[in-house]
Formats: sequence, structure tokens, C-alpha cells
Amino acid sequence: MPWRRILLTLAVILPLVGVLAFGFSRDPRYIASPLIGRPAPPFTVTLFDGKKLSLADLRGKVVFLNFWASWCPPCRAEARDLEAVWQRYRDKNIVFLGIDIQDTEKEAFAFLKEFQITYPNGRDASGKISIDYGVWGIPETFFIDPEGRITYKHVGGLEYPIIVAKLDEARRGLISAKEGKGAYQSIR
Amino acid sequence: MPSLVILVLSLLVLPTGLQAQPTDLEEQLRAISKELRCPVCQNLSVADSPSEMAQQMRALVLKQLKEGKSPEQIKAYFVSKYGEWILLSPTTKGFSLLVWILPFIALTGGIIFVLLVARRWVQRKGESRPSEVDPALIQRVQQDVSTERVWEIDPEIEGPRAHLLNEQARLYTELQELEFDYQAGRLSESDYQDLRPRYEAQAAKVLRELDSSPAEAMSKKRPHRAERQAKDAGQAQNGKAPSRRGWIFAATGAFLLVFGVTLGIFLSKSLRPRGSEQDSITGDFLTGTGPGGLSADPGMRRADLQSLLTQGHAAFERQDWSQAIDAFKKVLAIDSDRPEAHTYMGLILTQAGHVDGALLAFNRALSTNPEYPLALWGKGMVLYRDKGDLSGARQNLQKLVSLLPSGKERFEVQKTIDELTNRQATPAKSKQSVTNPSRIEGTISVDSKLKAKLDSGDALFIIVRSANSAKGPPLAVKKIDRPVFPLSYSLGPENMMMSGRPFGGKVNVSVRLDRDGNALTREPGSLMGTYEKNPVEIGTQGVDIILDQVL
Repeated sequence: MPWRRILLTLAVILPLVGVLAFGFSRDPRYIASPLIGRPAPPFTVTLFDGKKLSLADLRGKVVFLNFWASWCPPCRAEARDLEAVWQRYRDKNIVFLGIDIQDTEKEAFAFLKEFQITYPNGRDASGKISIDYGVWGIPETFFIDPEGRITYKHVGGLEYPIIVAKLDEARRGLISAKEGKGAYQSIR
Repeated sequence: MPSLVILVLSLLVLPTGLQAQPTDLEEQLRAISKELRCPVCQNLSVADSPSEMAQQMRALVLKQLKEGKSPEQIKAYFVSKYGEWILLSPTTKGFSLLVWILPFIALTGGIIFVLLVARRWVQRKGESRPSEVDPALIQRVQQDVSTERVWEIDPEIEGPRAHLLNEQARLYTELQELEFDYQAGRLSESDYQDLRPRYEAQAAKVLRELDSSPAEAMSKKRPHRAERQAKDAGQAQNGKAPSRRGWIFAATGAFLLVFGVTLGIFLSKSLRPRGSEQDSITGDFLTGTGPGGLSADPGMRRADLQSLLTQGHAAFERQDWSQAIDAFKKVLAIDSDRPEAHTYMGLILTQAGHVDGALLAFNRALSTNPEYPLALWGKGMVLYRDKGDLSGARQNLQKLVSLLPSGKERFEVQKTIDELTNRQATPAKSKQSVTNPSRIEGTISVDSKLKAKLDSGDALFIIVRSANSAKGPPLAVKKIDRPVFPLSYSLGPENMMMSGRPFGGKVNVSVRLDRDGNALTREPGSLMGTYEKNPVEIGTQGVDIILDQVL
């Protein structure tokens, strides 16, 4: 009789604890991307210097596609690292491309100036490109291999070593099963 | 019960029944956005959210509607970008179907459970009417229970009466415990009055059944059992009987302790004070998210440091001095002891012709890492080329040679040392450059007791006053920002306050380590020192001063 009662209690409590543990150990804001390993959605963006750039033109190169906004603290935190990596690898068949979203042109300009960013940057005023890439937390970064596939996605601030490592994986076409998560993200 | 089922079913069916096909584009847009979750909000649909992202998504839905796409196609587009997460209500296929079904299973299960429990209660109430039982039997039960005997359930006994005997033992034990609890004041009067007749009635029933069934099968076990009971009774009297209640208390205590400790660890790991506007109170342990905000996180600043250094090096190589200075200054703001940054600052200052500043920077670098090769090289070369201090240069460069692995770099340094040695060999020429008749040279150090008073923001003033006039402005002043002690200095006509006056004659030399770097104000806490053998002749070397007074 007591055994039956204990088993019954456990049968009720354990699934409940399991559900709670599962729920509490997940970030409710986190959205897993279905895009990893798939071809990167094509787009054309007008850069801040007025030129137009198509993703299709960059086929054959590793593309580092970074969605950012001037108001987002982690974007500020990672900006120097991004520029430092770009300075180091710009001649190695790698293209850095920044897409400014949910932002004003004036503030975006000030951001680029403040961090002395030299790689191409454009503005996605309509939000079409960011929605095409399923962007939700800023900054978000996509690593695209020379064949145009997304090999890795990172939500949140990036740091020098991981950028270098993931660029190398993208160059070799290695797809990361899991997307990465920075120390923190910004949502507006 | 049937009415409840109808209610649940009608709740399920009604919303879908009401869904008519919206004809207007606006209505269609609203219908679709109502089903899409806003990615940057918490449980808000795209239709209800005022965020920029939701606005952009609505615009995109409208555009696709105008292109003639069906609501299903549009929703499929968003699912292909964000996954099923984007749909506010999960689909009724696959795993998501569980979300729809489980609540109803749970509800049905709950209703059944409540009904069963209620039925059992009702039955119990009915069966425990003590009036149905023979009062004589109740009396027998009361007599049995009032003895000191311990009633024990014995799983070994066999036969048709076994379960009756065990039941009897159980009920008697319960009654004894009830009596004990009541006497000990652990049971209220009303509970006691309610429970006792109920147990007595049950025990009386068992007695009646025992009386009506034959006792033959039990006889062989009986003596054995009686023996044991007698032994147990003795033990109980000695107070050695195993106490079940004690075990329950101990187990409960242990459980509460473990629970409390776990909760304490879990909560302290998963909650933290909000660092900034963007920060959340949950993190680390629960969700793997680190602290937000730029300011407080040393890790973030460390990471910044590496990229700032890289940026500075790149700018230095491009000979973009202002950007390089900018980067290294930021590095020093984060880590004021970084030898790399000090060294590069020194190299830049050398390029700009600020020899003293450069020397200071190299000294700062060497004070944290006395074996930092680039600083040794910079200091050596500045002493050699700009200061003419050949022995000092030699000392630094020789240390560098001992540190470098053999190779081209070491060869170059060795070559410089050889060159230097050659020049030292012709002392007439080099001595002259060192003993300059119109300079005062020496070292400045800090009294060991006052070292704790040093501050990185201090500025050092070397003040030369004419020995004849104690008042008026000093003859010459030299300011050294952020000095590193011991420090060697050299003061000449270029440091004079007023040009036109001759820099010569007898002078008094003193030094002041100023708190705010302003020569005109004297703050308490500033350190002072005067040359012991004042006044001195200009041209004297070895004017060594110790900072040994506090203002």
C-alpha cells in the first residue's frame, strides 16, 4: 500500500518537475533558426557610400554578414573586434558586410565614425533583409561559405577568437549544428 | 457530467466556426498578423505590437498580400525564416498536437480523480457507523487495547485467518497510538472522539469474523508469535522499541535540509542584480546568458583590450599616429600598467621628438615588465641617440641581447652595442656631450616611508631658483607628468621661465610632486624635496634629491 502510494506520487511529481526543469532551463526569448546549412537568402543593399552590393556578387568568397544597430550596446561592444578582424583578414578572400537595421541614418553614420569601421555597411530601411534572415536579437551574425550556404549563426556580441575560428570553418564549408549565443543581446 | 462535455466541446469548436474568410485586404492583414508572434516582444502578436520590427513585418505581409499570395503561403514564408516559433498558436500536427491534446487529457484525468476520491469518502462515511456493531465486542476491543501488549503484524503466518489477524494487529496498534497521542496532547478532543469509535468499530468487525472462523490452521505458529510478542513487550518497556515516528521526523528534516540547500544554490546561481537597462535578473545558470551592460563587466573590457591593441598596432604600422595614440590611450584607461601600450606610446613620442616623454613611457613599461624587449630597445635607442647617455644605452641594450634568441634581431642589437662601445672608446668627444656646463643633472627618488603616498596622476616639478633672490618667479621649472621613481633628470636653458636672463650662477634646486599637476597651487599631500647641498653652481652633476617632506 505505501509503495503504491509513493509510486503514484512520483508518477505525478516527476513529469511536473521535468516540465518545469525544461521550461526554466530555456531562454524563452531564444528563437532557433531554421536557416543554418541552407542557402543564404539573396539580397541587394545600398551601402552608405551610395554603391549597391548584391550577395550574389560575393559568391566564391566567405561572407561575414552582421546585423547591427547604433543603439544596441552589444553591437558597440563587438564593433572594435569586428574591425580588427577585418583589418587582419581583408585580403584573404573574406568580405565583411554590415547591415544596419531599426535605426536612423544619422545615428548609424555616427556609429561607423566612432568605431572607425572601414568594411562595407548598408542600411535595411524596410527590414526585408533582416526578416529574410529571421533576425530577432541584435547583433546577429551569419557566416556564409563560398558556395553561399549559411554555416553558422551567432546571436549577441562576438569576440575576436570566435570570429576567426568561424571564418575558417566557413572557408572550409563546415556547418555548425548549433547556433552560437553571445554574452548578451539587445532587443527593441 | 454530460453538460460539462458539451461545454468543453463548444468552447473548442466555436472559435473556428466563427472564422469567416476576410475579404478586405486590411482585414486579411490583421488576421494574418494576429497569428504571427512579434519576435522582439513578449507574447504579443505582430498585429498588437508597436515595435519597429512588427511594423516592418506588417508591411511585408501587406506587400505579399498585394502580390496575390494566400495567407497560408505568407505564414509559411515566416515559418521558413523563424521556425514554428513565429506562429502564436502551434500547429495541430506532429509534436505540437500534444500541446492541444494534453490539457484536455489532464482535465479529464483530474475530473475522474476527484470523482473517485469523492466516492470513496462517501463510502467511508457510510461504513463507519459504530452503532451497527455489538457493544460487547467493542468492550472486548477496548480491553485488548488497554493491555501493555504490543500487537505486531506478522507476514509469516499463513492460513485463511492470517489477514484477519494482521488486520486486528494493525487496528489495535492504531488504537494504542491514538490513545498515546491523545494522552500526550498531540491530538485534539474532537479528532479523538471521531477516530476512536471508528477504529473500534472496525476492530470489532474483525473480531466478529475471527470468532466465526475456525482457529485450527494457526495453532503451529501461535506459540512462536506469542514468544516474540512477549520479548517485544519487554523491549518496549525498556524504551528500546524502534520508533517509526522518529524515522519520519528524521527523513522529513533531511528532505527539508536538502531542499533548502538546493534552492539556495539554485537561486543564487540563477538570479543576479540587474546591471543595466538591458540586463535581466535571470541568467548564467538558467539560460546561459551572461550579465548585460557595458560598464561593469571586466571580461568585456578585457576583450576590448585585445582588439584595441590590435587596432593600435595596425595604426602604428600605417604610421597613423593620432589613431594609434587614441587606441593605446584607451588601452591604458582600461589597464594602466599595460607595458605594450606604454612602449608604443614611447615609440610614437620618440617619432614626435618628445624624448623625455618617451623615456618616461619606456620606464613605465619596464616598471611592470623589466624584460619587455621592445621597451628595452626603445629606451636604449633614445638614451643613445637623443640623450647621449652611452652607458645607460649600453646597459639596456645588453639586457635585451641576453633576452633575445639568436637571429637577425639579436644581431642588429649587438651591432648597435658595438657601435656604442666604439664611441665610448673616444671619451673626449662623448664626455663633453654629457658634462654640459649649462645644465643641472641628477636623480630624484622618494623616501621609502612615503612611497605609499604616490599617485599615478601626480606631476613632478623641478624648480630652480636663483640663490640671490628668494622671491619672484623661479629661474627654471621642468614638469614631468606621471613620473616613475627613481628618475634621472636634466635641466637646461630650455626650461627657463623667462628668456633673456642668463642661466648661470648659484641656484637652489627643489622638487615638488604635485597632486593636481598645477604648479601655482599647493595641495596638502603633495611631496616636497630640496637638494641637501643647496646652493649649487649650474653645471653641477649628481644633484640627487629625495622627496621626503609632505605638505
